[in-house]
Amino acid sequence: MRAPLLAAVALVLATPAVVGAQAGDANAGKAVYQLKCIGCHGEKGDGKGPAAELLMPKPRDFTTGIYKIRTTANKVPSDQDLFRIITDGMPGTSMPSWAVLPDRDRWNLVAYIKAFAADKFKEAPKKVELPKEVGSSTESIKRGKEMFEAIECNKCHGTEGRADGPSRPELKDEWGQPIPPANLTKPWTFRGGPTRTEIATRLAAGVLGTPMPTFIDSVEKPEDIWHLTNFILSLGPESPGYATLVTVTAVSDAIPDDPNADFWKKLTPNNIPLMGQVIQDPRNFNPSIDLVSVRAVYNDKEIAFHLTWDDPTQSAEDAGKKLYADGISLQFPPQPSSGPERPYFLMGDSSDAVYLLRWENGKGVTEATANGPTKIAAIQGAEAAGKAVYANGQYRLIMRRPLVSKSEARPTFTPAVFMPVAFQAWDGGAGEGGTKMSLTSWYYLRLEEPQSSRRFVIPPVVAILTLAVMLLVVRIANRRV
Amino acid sequence: MRKVIGTLLAIALVTGVALVANRPGPAGAQGGGTIEATVTYAGAPVVEKLKVNKDTEKCGTEAVIEKVVVGANKGLANAVVSVPSAKGGAPKTVKNVVDQHGCKFVPHVSAMMPGEMDLKNSDDILHNIHTYSTANPSINKAQPKFKKVMAEKFEKPEFIKLTCDVHSWMLGWVAVMPNPFFGVTDASGNAKIENVPPGKYAVEAWHETLGKQTKEVEVKAGQSTKVAIEMKK
Repeated sequence: MRAPLLAAVALVLATPAVVGAQAGDANAGKAVYQLKCIGCHGEKGDGKGPAAELLMPKPRDFTTGIYKIRTTANKVPSDQDLFRIITDGMPGTSMPSWAVLPDRDRWNLVAYIKAFAADKFKEAPKKVELPKEVGSSTESIKRGKEMFEAIECNKCHGTEGRADGPSRPELKDEWGQPIPPANLTKPWTFRGGPTRTEIATRLAAGVLGTPMPTFIDSVEKPEDIWHLTNFILSLGPESPGYATLVTVTAVSDAIPDDPNADFWKKLTPNNIPLMGQVIQDPRNFNPSIDLVSVRAVYNDKEIAFHLTWDDPTQSAEDAGKKLYADGISLQFPPQPSSGPERPYFLMGDSSDAVYLLRWENGKGVTEATANGPTKIAAIQGAEAAGKAVYANGQYRLIMRRPLVSKSEARPTFTPAVFMPVAFQAWDGGAGEGGTKMSLTSWYYLRLEEPQSSRRFVIPPVVAILTLAVMLLVVRIANRRV
Repeated sequence: MRKVIGTLLAIALVTGVALVANRPGPAGAQGGGTIEATVTYAGAPVVEKLKVNKDTEKCGTEAVIEKVVVGANKGLANAVVSVPSAKGGAPKTVKNVVDQHGCKFVPHVSAMMPGEMDLKNSDDILHNIHTYSTANPSINKAQPKFKKVMAEKFEKPEFIKLTCDVHSWMLGWVAVMPNPFFGVTDASGNAKIENVPPGKYAVEAWHETLGKQTKEVEVKAGQSTKVAIEMKK
């Protein structure tokens, strides 16, 4: 009886009872690691798990002790830094959030991954000192832009921040792998998080193992770090605000030809997320284009789609250099169906075709019928037209077409009807072409009903009539008395 | 006639000053010797060329990456010759300076004792100093056009690779040496190490792509010892 009791007491004493939440147990962490992390980061922690080959960016090699995201001025990340990345994941990479694991498991993981490079963690982490915070204002953003230009952030990140700088193709990480610069207009993809403090910390401390240097000593005044942060956050929206339905606005006037016309800027974009095509070989595990903004209008004659998407390289087809053309396409069923049946979303199949309204750099706007991604036939007698412009890592394109088509291969667009639509995009410069594409599954598109003047007439008439009836009732009632 | 005399006088004066400046210091007085090393390489020079797509007004339109520079009589340039086991000697007083000029590290290879060095940017465009090292902490610091000089400390002996991510062809080396007995070979493969305390040493030659070779020498007080080291692939 006494022996087990003693053993239990000994166990309680041996367990570091409720020490700070940060003291993880590497051995317990190993068990979790082997269940959850090994697939990408590998048994030895060298980032060479079985899935690593398909991933871009590559999984972290823990044996080097080099960590991108840290809040320290030296190379060693704090335990809290590692815990934060395990908990929140890294946007824009294959590293998911592991918030589903209990806190204790995550702290144990921190202890275990540190053990892969124990000698690197002998040095104590030194917290990076940020200058006094400067809030965002017009002046601060202006100063940030000046500094952005003076320190030439554009060399990698591009003039407007779309990751299209001239040094982009040369950038390599510590392991010799190509590494793209961040697209500063999409803060939700920032690896280390989109908050002001997180951005300022990246600027001050750099991103270790990547070409991104530290800037704390390389700005004119330390507070420029905050002005830069404020400018960077002014480059794009806070979140993509993805659309679930593409609304086509009714207009009565002519639709402008110029993709840069103010007309388009006034319309609310429908932001559609795109994924890599991973069903049919060759597949695209690391798609370049992840978002297309759709603005669409129609008048009594035609429908026009204004598409905006980021592409860091403008490329046309070049067989010699094995380069494909940049391209994008809108996909519709050729004819409206009465039921919920739709063609296969990946460009149809042998029994059900889809209609494609597409644009390719160098070829312009064309129409095609597809029975699968490798069976695409051009439709004779083009009805569609369009115009594209490219500047600072971004395409803006207009594709237009008559609303009504007599041909069976093309759909007719009817107001107030939900019509299936899907999108596909190719970044030729990233080696995308054919089945290597970004795509969506089916969305719905709806042409707004034309705005008639009746809505301005009927309600007042009803109101006046109601008032008249009320007055009549009151008068009759008064007479009775 | 007077002009000629004046010129001759000036030359004589300058030479005299130079001679005085080169005279062995206190270590020489203690009876050190000189090592005159010649590093050779029988293989072909290695030069890579790259088309430049940006900053062409500063970098030119073609980047030339000289990985192995072979001069007259197979002399190998940019090799670091050192006597790692020698003790003593006065520390070097001249600060090591590497300039980023024309999108190149100038000089391509430099050597210094542990301590501080200056990294200059005379290009008027952004560079980033990105070092690859193991003993010293590696650095990756932006050096924008207005930051003309940055001082960096390298405390531990090792060969440190300098790169710039903005201009990926830029490559340089800083050799941090444990003692003042080192030199970098010139275009003919020659390097002179002065004031070496007398004794038997292994002289080491290091080259960024050809690795290391050593040779035994005996240094005698007040004498110059020639040593020829051949680098092999």
